[in-house]
Amino acid sequence: MPHLETDVLVIGGGSTGAGVAWDSALRGLHVTLVDRGDLATGTTGRFHGLLHSGGRYVVKDPSSAQECAAENLVLRRVASDCIEDTGGLFVTTPLDDPAYADLFEPSCRAAGVPVEEISVAQALRREPRLNPRISRAFLVPDASVDAWKTVSACVRGAAQRGANILPYHSLTALEVEGSAVIGARLRDNRSGAEVLVRARCTINASGAWSGRVATMAGCRVGVVPGKGVMVAMNHRLVNTVVNRCTMPGDGDIIVPIRTVSVIGTTDVPVEDPDQIDPTAAEVAAMMEAGEALVPGFSKGRALRVWAGARPLLPKGEVGGVSDTRDVTRSHSVLDHEQLEGVGNFVTVTGGKFTTFRLMAKDAVDLACGKLGLAASCSTDVEPLPDSEAQHFYWLGARQEEMETDDPDDPLICECELVSRRDLRMAVARRSNWALDDLRRALRVGMGPCQGGFCAFRVAGLLHEDGHYDARAATASLLAFVEERWKGVQLMGWGDQLRQERLDEWIFQGILDLEHLPE
Amino acid sequence: MKHDVVVVGAGMAGLTAAVRLAQAGLDVAVVATGQGGLPLSPAVVDILGYAPHLVASPGQELPPYVAGHPDHPYARASLDALSKSVEWFLELAAPLGYAGALDHNLMLPTAVGGIRPTGIVPETMAAGDLPAGAEVLIVGIRNYRDFYPQLVAENLKRSSRALSARAVEVGLAGDARALRPQLLARRLELPHVRSELARGVRAELAEEQAVGLPAVLGLSMAHEVWSDLTDSIGRPVFEIPTLPPSIPGLRLQTVLGQALRRHGGRLLIGSTATRGSGETGLLKSVTVAESSRSVEFEADHFVLATGGIATGGIVSERAEAPREVVLGLPVSATSGDHNGTYFQEHGRDRIGLAVDNQLRPLNASGEPVYRNVHAVGALLTGAVPWRELSGNGISLATGYAAATAILGGPV
Repeated sequence: MPHLETDVLVIGGGSTGAGVAWDSALRGLHVTLVDRGDLATGTTGRFHGLLHSGGRYVVKDPSSAQECAAENLVLRRVASDCIEDTGGLFVTTPLDDPAYADLFEPSCRAAGVPVEEISVAQALRREPRLNPRISRAFLVPDASVDAWKTVSACVRGAAQRGANILPYHSLTALEVEGSAVIGARLRDNRSGAEVLVRARCTINASGAWSGRVATMAGCRVGVVPGKGVMVAMNHRLVNTVVNRCTMPGDGDIIVPIRTVSVIGTTDVPVEDPDQIDPTAAEVAAMMEAGEALVPGFSKGRALRVWAGARPLLPKGEVGGVSDTRDVTRSHSVLDHEQLEGVGNFVTVTGGKFTTFRLMAKDAVDLACGKLGLAASCSTDVEPLPDSEAQHFYWLGARQEEMETDDPDDPLICECELVSRRDLRMAVARRSNWALDDLRRALRVGMGPCQGGFCAFRVAGLLHEDGHYDARAATASLLAFVEERWKGVQLMGWGDQLRQERLDEWIFQGILDLEHLPE
Repeated sequence: MKHDVVVVGAGMAGLTAAVRLAQAGLDVAVVATGQGGLPLSPAVVDILGYAPHLVASPGQELPPYVAGHPDHPYARASLDALSKSVEWFLELAAPLGYAGALDHNLMLPTAVGGIRPTGIVPETMAAGDLPAGAEVLIVGIRNYRDFYPQLVAENLKRSSRALSARAVEVGLAGDARALRPQLLARRLELPHVRSELARGVRAELAEEQAVGLPAVLGLSMAHEVWSDLTDSIGRPVFEIPTLPPSIPGLRLQTVLGQALRRHGGRLLIGSTATRGSGETGLLKSVTVAESSRSVEFEADHFVLATGGIATGGIVSERAEAPREVVLGLPVSATSGDHNGTYFQEHGRDRIGLAVDNQLRPLNASGEPVYRNVHAVGALLTGAVPWRELSGNGISLATGYAAATAILGGPV
């Protein structure tokens, strides 16, 4: 069994874990990060892509709002390549209590969220699809953020400083010696091999799963997974993040991100963060909810639905929580030595994507204290890889790249403008890519055709380049098709159904994928 | 404007009906919004590939199969119509050398290296039906992004035919550009370009008994390109269909369109039938929207060949019942569970029109809505053609049978 030695073992490859890895590596620690699947496939890869200004929380959860406001500024500086500076609007629709708007602006000022009321006419000029019956509009610095890019940048930065990144490794046991966690036992989910990691400190950054992980060391984390459903629309229905100016509710935010816009979300406490399949009723609720912000929304072309599980911490962990929005969206760093007498073991949970850097800082501060290391956090000033120039991502970036790069480089994915060269560059970054991992890394298969054309090409190219043998290429293609189906099976109407039918003719009619040898 | 027959839709089913009616001397107009499904289709005529087991002989399997599936379009059209339609098609599509028979499926390599059953195929594909263990060379063309010869070859080794396959890639001079299929097909119509391809293949050829290439061997000169390559390579050459746009589909569309015009039919692309007018049980005309005006097309008979959801003949909006777009005919929609794995049948897979034995769409009480309207092809319920591999077979048989019903006499 291979033995790995490390300073900090990070459990969970979402934004928090990736942030912990990046922070620890910058402080000179050797890091090993593990996730049971690909990076950013849990909650981080399943949110709407909103970089909060804090506006969402100013009335209900002011401390969370303050954190968001501060972190929004920091991330704009250090993760600019992952952020599109869309700005955000809070608008009072006819369905919203006008009294909330009176409360909103002073609450923003109190929490340090920059806010400016603009006229309805200005708001409609900026966003012509917005409901013309809105009565008030406030501009805030919301933005959209690419979670996959962010996590990828964090782990790349960490890896450049020696970190060991282990996706597709399940945690099978935490190793406890005496009264301290001394590492973990892992299983490589692709080879089946066992791996033993010895760590001076273990940080549980597994979010909605952190209760489960803590139990392995006999500790308790009272996190409640909160299911949130999101629907991606085929167009940028808005180019500014739009929020309903009201207490947080279902389907009250539309985020323009990359080539799509995402409406979210719901909040339902669930037992098991792995059992969160969206339902037809939830899809219908999202489609209808969009009407309040963008009339005609429910007739739009919806690409895909998914759900994520937020890690929520009930205030004082009272039992019987029914609406998980009543719990704080702030985070907690738990020192299990103080709580349960289990040494070298820290849990960081709660929080939200916008505050992932701060969560990581707090966790690594505690870990450094345990390790007797004086190094302080620098993630607030050190830009992530590819964000050094401090240029925000913009929608035309890929088109611009195409026009300046080799014009003869064939496009592999027309929907998301991914060329063969882009694909080969991404593949070269690590080994063992599944087609579905490349979807997150490059957005191949995320556009209107949902992989109908590009999945076959990517499988063919990766096989040609020796990355897959025929069996693995076939298996990855079939797994991609099944994974895609999870998101589209509930979207069977209109032009997207028509697209799905074309994909069926390609996958089944032309390629007869179902009957390929395994 | 008055015709004997107006056909709405210019895919395989609509053109089959239209050509056959025009051949019989009727005055036929085909109106269609767009190009129809043929440019998306590999242009093989699948009869029945899976039932759901692999079908070796559709001729043998079909009688019990349609007996067990009385709503299947083949049951509605009749197996007799199917076999006559195949004979008719083989003659009509002779310029493309279509061959095959109902009693025997061919087993052709796919672009992912599987082996796919099919019925009637153009001459450019037939040599792909290789005996088990045969040696085959799979040839890719550099910078053509829809064909990956190594994946084809490696999977063919693992396939049911266990072919002894090897892959090579051949570059063509000036191939730096990302090659689109139409461009590639046109370039291969130039003798010096296909000589270059043949030279490249010959240089790589060892003991292989056959050579597979992507289905881009010429558009209007496919026979010349294919036979020339076969001669100069010195081995049977076959095309392997891949992603749309489909070159073999474009060829077949051209041949069917030419046959229609040759027999005096009109083919109007860019003309959308938007609604019908008539009296109870009898349709008098359809309104056709052209670029700047609407025209009434009157006829004694109408053939509706607009395709299913894929081509827009049926539209299914959210929280609404699916509707047939031209005449608002009743759509039989088995709803239900869409969950489960991708390769299962899903509730929405059979959305389509129920028809009688003359292919006339039925109302809720099982009576024809119009005595003189026939529906054909992918518009019909009763089959999941992309799963059973029967799409063009259904289009051919029902298009032919609708023509038979119309030629049978006055309604």
